[in-house]
Amino acid sequence: MKALILAAGKGTRLMPLSRDCPKPMLPILDKPVLECLIEHLASQGVTQIVINTSYLAPEIENYFASGRRWGVELAFSYEGFEEDGVLHEEPLGSAGTIRRIQQHSGFFDDTFIVMCGDALLDLDLRALVAAHHQTGALATLALTRVSEDKVSQYGVAVLDDLGRIMSFQEKPKPHEALSNLVNTGVYVFEPEIIKYIPEHTPYDLGSEVFPALARDGRAIYGVEMNFNWIDIGRVADYYSVQMQAIAGELPNIPRLGKEILPNVFVGANTRFDPRRCHIEGPIVIADSVTIEDGATLIGPLFIGRGSVIERGAHLERSLVFEYTRVGAQATLSHVLASGRWCAQPDGLTIDPQKTGIAWILADSRTPRKWLNQQEQLFLEQIDDFPPVCELIENMRREPAFSRPW
Amino acid sequence: MNLINSHQQDDLTVISFNINNLDAGNADAFRKQVRPVLEESKKVAIDMSALQFVDSSGLGALLSCLRFCNENGGSLVLFGLQRTVTALFELMRMHRVFNLFTSIDEIVGALS
Repeated sequence: MKALILAAGKGTRLMPLSRDCPKPMLPILDKPVLECLIEHLASQGVTQIVINTSYLAPEIENYFASGRRWGVELAFSYEGFEEDGVLHEEPLGSAGTIRRIQQHSGFFDDTFIVMCGDALLDLDLRALVAAHHQTGALATLALTRVSEDKVSQYGVAVLDDLGRIMSFQEKPKPHEALSNLVNTGVYVFEPEIIKYIPEHTPYDLGSEVFPALARDGRAIYGVEMNFNWIDIGRVADYYSVQMQAIAGELPNIPRLGKEILPNVFVGANTRFDPRRCHIEGPIVIADSVTIEDGATLIGPLFIGRGSVIERGAHLERSLVFEYTRVGAQATLSHVLASGRWCAQPDGLTIDPQKTGIAWILADSRTPRKWLNQQEQLFLEQIDDFPPVCELIENMRREPAFSRPW
Repeated sequence: MNLINSHQQDDLTVISFNINNLDAGNADAFRKQVRPVLEESKKVAIDMSALQFVDSSGLGALLSCLRFCNENGGSLVLFGLQRTVTALFELMRMHRVFNLFTSIDEIVGALS
């Protein structure tokens, strides 16, 4: 069986996370979502996989290379061009990429699977393909049922009694939704579908190919599948999935490292003395992390590899990305933080460089510099507030200035 | 340029901004303009609602206002912070240094 994984998208709704990392490479704990998908495809007997790339393509291509490590044959189809040493993206859309791959090599010579590279799933692909063959359809979509309050996030499909899709609704309001069966972005196609896709042009499956099939009287089938499907389309989704992974609630995502205390997992080459910090699990700390004495760590919390957490820093219900230095004066509560940004789950972002607070949040690989005059002045001013110093020293959690009028 | 306005509400002096950003470019000017108001008043509330961006210099200026008030037996509170500014205050732990309110009504309610 052959498969195509769609991984060219820019992940705009995942900014700032996707600024430096393509959406499919965002890690769940330390493993990229795309790697989870490849492992799942391999476990289902899919041996030949093409991944289309465009946005930050080298991040994906260099990581997976030939795919041998995962027991599959892996190839990439880059969408764009190089000019003066710079790659320029020219994504072709979910359907345009199929056409391009087929023109290049005739790769799709039998029933094939297409899936989006930005969701975790444990779908029984063999059962889906069997259902597809049973109807003799040209296209079959894997559908799953979501609660009614969530339909507005997805494309909804309405089926007839035979399982044919009668209509689609894109992100309907809950009271307008005609069904709560949603499109999971996993498709089974026959190669014949390619004749519905024009050459050399961006083209979309959902808005262009499927309507064309319907106009031509070709049935598109939907199969309701019972499986775990975790979409990470938005920052809030990603944060929520990570919180579940840290708590050990995702069966296919084992927590890395060694469990040194109940619900506290620590990777190799990490400097951390839990007796000298305030800690409440679940916490996952990756490899080569430094946590200075006197830090407060309250779970669910993930600290990415190579990070440095300075003495007195307070971290709570947060995700710290790799190579992040968290300064002693920082309070990270319910945020996603890297050396370049600090975001809340709804996407609200602070840029530490722009805000002049790079001594609180920075890349841990950047050598620590002397504070400039302005920064020094600011810290001196903070030092003038004894309660703040006390806070930093003792990590007290009550308001420092609760004095009434 | 006048960066701030002030007016009296009950026994509170309310300072508001005529600017959207409080940063390295205007923090010193703000400090100078606000000082006479703080010298005159014991109870001061700063309306932060116009500010979309505050950097470390701006935070430093606000801290120096608070220090001045405390040293002179007065009190200073902030209200109406936009979400980005609130997020910065939380990251910097400044929300535990300042008394923060959502609105002037909340301050008046707390006073009564």
